[in-house]
Amino acid sequence: MMEKKFKCPDCGKVASYSGMPGEIKTVYCPYCGSKGRARLPELKHIEDLAIEVSGLRKIYGDLVAVNDISFSVKKGEIFAFLGPNGAGKTTTVEIIESIRQPTAGTIKLSGKDIKTHFNDIKKNIGVLPQEFHSFERLTVRETLVYFSKLYKKRADINKIIESMDLKSCEKRLYKNLSGGLRQRVGVAIALVNDPDIVFLDEPTTGLDPKARRDVWNVIAGLRDNGKTVFLTTHYMEEAEYLADHIAIIHKGKIIAEGSLNELIERYGHGSLLRIKRCKTDGAVKTLREKGFDASSEGNGDIAVKIDYKDRVLDVLSNLRHECIEYESIDIRRSNLEEIFLQLTGAKLTGEEIA
Amino acid sequence: MRASVIATDFVASIKTWSRSKGTLFWTLAFPIMLILIFGAIFSGIGETEYTLYIQDLDDSEMSRSFIESLNGTGAIKTKIVTSSENITLYIDENSIDRLVVIPKGYEESINKSFIDQNTSVNLSFYLNPGEQTSNQIVISIVSSVIQSFNMEITGGRNVIGIDQISTIPEEFTFFDFFLPGMIGFTIMQTCVYGSIERNTKFRKDGILRKLLTTPITRTEWILSKMLFMLFLSFVSTSLIIAVGVIVYGISVHITPLMIIIIIATSFLFSGLGMLIGRFVKDEETADTAGGAITFPMMFLAGTFFQLEMMPEFLQAFARVLPLYYVNEGLRNAMTYMNQSEAILNTIAVVIFAGVFFIAGVLLTKWKED
Repeated sequence: MMEKKFKCPDCGKVASYSGMPGEIKTVYCPYCGSKGRARLPELKHIEDLAIEVSGLRKIYGDLVAVNDISFSVKKGEIFAFLGPNGAGKTTTVEIIESIRQPTAGTIKLSGKDIKTHFNDIKKNIGVLPQEFHSFERLTVRETLVYFSKLYKKRADINKIIESMDLKSCEKRLYKNLSGGLRQRVGVAIALVNDPDIVFLDEPTTGLDPKARRDVWNVIAGLRDNGKTVFLTTHYMEEAEYLADHIAIIHKGKIIAEGSLNELIERYGHGSLLRIKRCKTDGAVKTLREKGFDASSEGNGDIAVKIDYKDRVLDVLSNLRHECIEYESIDIRRSNLEEIFLQLTGAKLTGEEIA
Repeated sequence: MRASVIATDFVASIKTWSRSKGTLFWTLAFPIMLILIFGAIFSGIGETEYTLYIQDLDDSEMSRSFIESLNGTGAIKTKIVTSSENITLYIDENSIDRLVVIPKGYEESINKSFIDQNTSVNLSFYLNPGEQTSNQIVISIVSSVIQSFNMEITGGRNVIGIDQISTIPEEFTFFDFFLPGMIGFTIMQTCVYGSIERNTKFRKDGILRKLLTTPITRTEWILSKMLFMLFLSFVSTSLIIAVGVIVYGISVHITPLMIIIIIATSFLFSGLGMLIGRFVKDEETADTAGGAITFPMMFLAGTFFQLEMMPEFLQAFARVLPLYYVNEGLRNAMTYMNQSEAILNTIAVVIFAGVFFIAGVLLTKWKED
């Protein structure tokens, strides 16, 4: 048996239900009586886990960079380790990759302890380190061949070049590639040994939106090919777009973990309906009197918090009924940035909110 | 250890090196440029007038006319050595590079040649073999003056000739001194900066972190890099020797001790580069630190100038510098052929190499803290 909390979409209150892992259950809200169906998450079986981290700590002098964190990553999923710069993401991933020594804790990759089996484990992981720049005067193909020859188990370089869309630049020197291409080559290098687990540390930092989107497509393709991807990022859109599972790290501690929907359900405030350029005086007051959580955003814009979807229709019918005039409306769901803000009082960019 | 991994990394290093114009320049062209520049300075390529010492044992009208003709070329300035001087002693004491002796009976022989066509007279031309370039010029000027004399006197028959005598064969020229120093200096620069690059740029670029997560071992990596460093050392040594032999005609002996010193020097300065890269992690600062160590060492260790030219305390300091033993070892092993000294120098270089390389390997970490 396992228990899972849920937030009622009608009244917004948090309740819980229990059942067997993976079981679909009819759930009743004990506060408003609403009824719905929900599925309990599958239990992570040991054999299904690609990465298991337990009690990991890393201390530098007085600084606790990683503070007793535990998490696991299922095989075949994209796991995003999300947090602002300096949160402890890279330290954590580099400990998992055995580049750094932990102060305490155990790490298993594919069930093997990295302390005792790392030479074995190396053969089945692919790594793109943070801010990685390969040998400047080797061509793309030469670079891939170089790294490939370090392994006994090798993937087909031609296929990697094709799948990463690097054919047109395979004869170009690495130093002459754009930032986006370099990152794609970096991901390609991480695949030369056909690894089971791929670690990508901030793979899109510094890229323009188009190049970032290209790299995202490449990463999504890795999951489609059955790879487990451990992605560290400080871009919430990246985690939202790619991740099956997200762990948010802040000041060395994991402060939230789950799928995007679970995180929004658990920590978000539902959706926000934004009324643009409202032309009627006292509209905010009117909406508040009708029981809506409305606030002015300046320039005549009004934000109304929506706890559950039917409330949208309520707002719209009230706007019409009260003859409130406006230019347009849009609805936006809570995102990771807001969740991070709510949990830490800081933005993902690291900026503290006064 | 896998030879294929070492070979892969070695080949990649050569490709990367051969595609960098800057690296090629500093490894190959720069030492050659230095040799040519120093050659121009020290072998008198830029001279417009050459001093030629003359001992006129005949002191006749014809011998004086010959000397006048030499001065008349404008390219030679003669200086007369009195006939009482012992010429060998005089050359030795005054470090004379070129000297012509007009023998007693010069005029008489020329006069006799009008009657007896088999009569001839030879001038003795003493030459320092180390001054090949300027000597060639002087010989050709003297020869043309002799030719014009022969034409004038006999209509072309060779009455006057030259006997070339090489002076002080065991005394060595500046190039014999300079060339081994240049080899030591080039290996030092190549290995120190090569190691610094691997330990700072590769760390900054994440290459070392990346390699840590692959099956290549630290031993395989270091071995392949040392193979590459040895390759560079031997390529630049060969080039320097080739330029020395072709341009300046110096004579070099390839000896086992010379090979041992080159190998040990490569390890020595690779170790020094590792140590610099270990403690100065920023790439630019590490390069500056490398320069701050190698540049003074280049001057103080007797690369370009004899140690004896420096004050006593600097000479004493030079004797604790590894490059001093490299330079002296190479000179003794490949030029002076002083094998007993060469062995002592080689031992010193090997000890320095052992200490620096082992310290470099032990203190250099791939893993981050």
